[in-house]
Amino acid sequence: MDPMNLIIAGVGGQGNVLASQIIGRAAVKKGFMITIGETFGLSQRGGAVMSHIRISKEKKYGPLIPPNRAHFIIGLEPLETLRIIEAFGNEKTIVIANSRPIHPLNVIAGDAEYPDPHWIKDALGSACGRLFWLNATDLALDLGGPIMLNMILLGAFCALPGVPLEIPDVEEILKTIFSEPDKLSANFEALKIGRDLILDYKF
Amino acid sequence: MELQHQEGQAKVIAHVIDAGICVRCGACVGICPYFDCFNGKIVVMERCYAEPSRCAQICPRIAYEPTSPIKNDGAGGEIGEYLKVVMARSSDPGIRNASQYGGTVSTLCAHALEKGFIESAILTDRGEGSRAPGGCVAKDQTEVLSCAGSRYAASGSLSEMNRAVGAGQKNLGVIGLPCQMEAIARMERAEPKESLMAESVVLKIGLFCTWALDSEQLAAFLKEKGVVGPVRKFDIPPPPADEFSVETDKGREVFPLSEVRPLIQKGCAFCQDMTAELADIAVGTVEGREDWNTVLVRTDAGLSLMESAIADGSLEIDELPMDHLNHLKAAAKGKRQRGKQAGARSS
Amino acid sequence: MMEMIREEWEGKEILLQGNEAIARGALEAGAIFYAGYPGNPSSEIIETLAEASRELPIYVEWSTNEKVALEAAAAASFAGCRAMASMKQNGVNVVSDFLTNLALSGTKGGLVLVTCDDPGGISSTNEEDARLFAHLAGIPLLEPATPQEALHMTRWAFELSEKIQNIVLLRSVSRLSHTRSNLRMDKLPDFKAAPYFDPKVPFHAFPVVEKDLARREKLKIAGALFENSPFNFYNGPVSPELLIICSGCAWNYADEAVEILGLQNRTGILKLGTTWPLPNELVKKHLKTCDRVLFVEEIEPFLENNVKAFAADLGKAIGLKEFMGKASGHVPLCGELSPDILLGVLGKLFDKQWQNTAFIEKTAAIVGDRLPPREFGFCPGCPHRGSYYAIKTALAWDNRNGFVSGDIGCYSLGLFPTGFNQVKSVHAMGSGLGISCGYGKLEKFGFDQPVITVIGDSTLFHAGLPGLINARFNNADILLLILDNSATAMTGFQPHPGTGTTLMGDKTDPVDPEALCRALGVSVEVADPYDMKEAARTIYRLMQQAGPRVLIMRRKCALIQGREGGLPYIMHINRDLCLGESCGCGRYCTRIFRCPGLIWDKTAGKAQIDEVICVGCGICADICPQGAILREEKA
Repeated sequence: MDPMNLIIAGVGGQGNVLASQIIGRAAVKKGFMITIGETFGLSQRGGAVMSHIRISKEKKYGPLIPPNRAHFIIGLEPLETLRIIEAFGNEKTIVIANSRPIHPLNVIAGDAEYPDPHWIKDALGSACGRLFWLNATDLALDLGGPIMLNMILLGAFCALPGVPLEIPDVEEILKTIFSEPDKLSANFEALKIGRDLILDYKF
Repeated sequence: MELQHQEGQAKVIAHVIDAGICVRCGACVGICPYFDCFNGKIVVMERCYAEPSRCAQICPRIAYEPTSPIKNDGAGGEIGEYLKVVMARSSDPGIRNASQYGGTVSTLCAHALEKGFIESAILTDRGEGSRAPGGCVAKDQTEVLSCAGSRYAASGSLSEMNRAVGAGQKNLGVIGLPCQMEAIARMERAEPKESLMAESVVLKIGLFCTWALDSEQLAAFLKEKGVVGPVRKFDIPPPPADEFSVETDKGREVFPLSEVRPLIQKGCAFCQDMTAELADIAVGTVEGREDWNTVLVRTDAGLSLMESAIADGSLEIDELPMDHLNHLKAAAKGKRQRGKQAGARSS
Repeated sequence: MMEMIREEWEGKEILLQGNEAIARGALEAGAIFYAGYPGNPSSEIIETLAEASRELPIYVEWSTNEKVALEAAAAASFAGCRAMASMKQNGVNVVSDFLTNLALSGTKGGLVLVTCDDPGGISSTNEEDARLFAHLAGIPLLEPATPQEALHMTRWAFELSEKIQNIVLLRSVSRLSHTRSNLRMDKLPDFKAAPYFDPKVPFHAFPVVEKDLARREKLKIAGALFENSPFNFYNGPVSPELLIICSGCAWNYADEAVEILGLQNRTGILKLGTTWPLPNELVKKHLKTCDRVLFVEEIEPFLENNVKAFAADLGKAIGLKEFMGKASGHVPLCGELSPDILLGVLGKLFDKQWQNTAFIEKTAAIVGDRLPPREFGFCPGCPHRGSYYAIKTALAWDNRNGFVSGDIGCYSLGLFPTGFNQVKSVHAMGSGLGISCGYGKLEKFGFDQPVITVIGDSTLFHAGLPGLINARFNNADILLLILDNSATAMTGFQPHPGTGTTLMGDKTDPVDPEALCRALGVSVEVADPYDMKEAARTIYRLMQQAGPRVLIMRRKCALIQGREGGLPYIMHINRDLCLGESCGCGRYCTRIFRCPGLIWDKTAGKAQIDEVICVGCGICADICPQGAILREEKA
């Protein structure tokens, strides 16, 4: 699996970019060549965000993952996760998807329907290699707020087979970001919760 | 979504507002956020797609439904059903002076408030500065008198009635034009058995009306003629005078009616009701008798109010001479025929 | 980010973004003066340098606009110091008058202009290729393909600039600027700066023709230097079946596509990093090896046209070629490049299958068209939502088909349902006001539609002032709403003349738009976008007046309010009062008002607050016809 291709997909404001940077820095520390391509701009104003992360021992690859070559997808929002599957997923892709929708404005306004999340879950499951459908937002809220979501999913990612990063690698990077001990331990907690969600997952 | 035969707001917009025949009764304003009455005009604030909608049912300019009481001549002939017809006037010369002709509407209204027939009255105020006359709520005689006098222009005053009803107020009295009386009647019919409207509006005083002027055009006309407001009184004396008189603090000015007719609202052409057939009491002029009003008492509610006002001495009555009554019937018949013809031409 | 300038990182690899790499390259070159104007995808360059300025003896500023930024940087250059200005592609339009003159006057200390273009216009009003200014101004052009190259190129650009005594253009694109990769950094110099302007050496463009000739000579020198540049290299067989000539970020896609399709022995890739002037001998050498050439680059066929023109001059010396690229339709003319475009072109040319058709078809069948797009909108609590609602109300009351002339910023979204579709034109910075000066003089021809102009506080300082002064001078009937949210919000909250601090953190006296208007003799009032009814009445009243009028809609950006302690309310819906879809409401709040914090419960048929998204500004309570939305003060 070289390069290892990971996409983090979500909605602006969910912490997509921060999550990708943490993974990137952890991988650099372990001696990998990293390229992270970001699509953002107006995303803060409610739009979709995608980070393409390429981890390799050989060389630095381009910033966009070629069609249907994502090995892993971390989906912070279910609709955005399903949206990118056709272009970037394949039969073997492993998907970690958060279950909680963020309604687009046009859905809120009644101009469009948000698909039934159960249908999204089934669609993701049929399309991809393996799906971990996690109620991570609820857990994040318990931990202190929606921004904990990406830490939980990062912890989950590290628990997947084939991923060259482990939770201690991520913790090292978090230490350089969060100086307050309370914040740091809350984030560590989130990582572990994510890991356990994968280890205890019932298909 | 601009289909002509949709039953909702789209129908009101297509058939009435964009067609230019809105008479600014204000019935569609205040029951939802999609219409507003601003400066004497009904404006569409946003498009609404809720159906069925009340606006399409209550608008007096949407084609009369089969249930409309004014489709036929009715039992009372040209001037509708009535229990009694009299001449009446306020017994207070001060009130008569401040009002139009006999001051009957102001007297009945103030009396109704004083004696508790109603808790508030919805009338039309005089406007302020550049703001056209609009609906207002009165709770006592002083407030009533501040609204006295005919505007000869539509004001959208039912918007105030809607706001009061929406706020849960009961025992309202509404003073308005025949189109407004019809709108209220439609509202009563549009509701389920326990009618919110019938509970809330307990008194309807209608004003005789041949036509109403467009407030915006009237304001432009006055500006062009150099009439500097505020206007204390408008008047259209009976024939043979062919005048429209405007009284301000600076004095009284007179304009030929022919110059004023172009300002008449286009929607008035379709109206068949001169004497407010759906009111409890309808009040108008008496030709040649500047101090008196013609009064048609139509319902028991109207009758008890008038008798109460007579009993406590605030209102005087007299017999209406037969030729005045005949003349009134002829005029009302003429308006009905013109209205029918206008309706036939446009369909 | 700060690690980026600490000495111990020298020689190590760290994860850096393209923009950060450009900043690092400039620092490694010892540049001491930096200026720019915020604009996606360029903003991080100046922001990174501003952070660095806390520990390094450099000067960094956000100027009021890009022209001033380049002019200020040019001063440092005239005084013998190295300087850099950075901006997005539209910014280069703004500097163009100065740039074309500067290219004639020449420079002294190394001066680099960085443009970050936005292929596909993902966060721009156009997808413009600023490389064309290299032609227009007659200056050298460098295009990095990776963040590492961006670092090295930026560093070298100052050397090049000093060799030819002229400004150098370095072009990045969003896909490079925002890409992160591991980079190797080198030493930081001593930053010894001794600015001195030699009065014996003036900087001007006279005589014009002589200066023009001199400029072209400078380009020739650059061209000669480019022949051996490490930024140009070739990968592939000696005689390829297809020669790909590419520049910039596009190289990544070509390189990976060749690898995926297994075409390493059949295709050669000539990657150029120095693209104007062309390294002629190098290009000629490779054109001779192959008759089929494919050009791959972002936005305009700039490299394509330059090479084709050069090839036409070479004529028989290289023989007839089949050129493929944007002109031939092999590469799309519009939109951003991507790996699948390259795979598509090469797959077709070499008849190779690469698509996972089975998966794509299977997934398309499952998904169908059931995925709604995600509409852009104002953040919850955004004061622009309130401003546009007040404008919409006032225009509806007025009932004369009034409309809004718009400008650049978050409030550009007034074009869309989130801003109630009020805005009817958006072009460049300050254009909304300039255009309204025209509407404001159409009255004599019978024009009576009221026009409301909106402009942001930062945009006002950037480009709005000449329009405002024009309105005053020519007495145009304009009603200007300054949407003062105390921020340059869309680009990431950079300070501007009205916010009270500079980029480097010094406190300043904010430039007060009210005082500015008064000084100009223009009437000015202030309204609160959160009080929509009152603001609508004020707007309506002002609409009936004549001449230039200003109304400042003042309320801090919701994101700033969030950082400063949050907003005051917790919101609730009283479901008993909520009418939902029935007549009397028609889902007014979610359908019309459209705040993301206010959502719709389909099963219950009622409105609902999304507590994760709602920030508690409370203004939605004022729009519910039933009073079903309730404000509860936070403890």
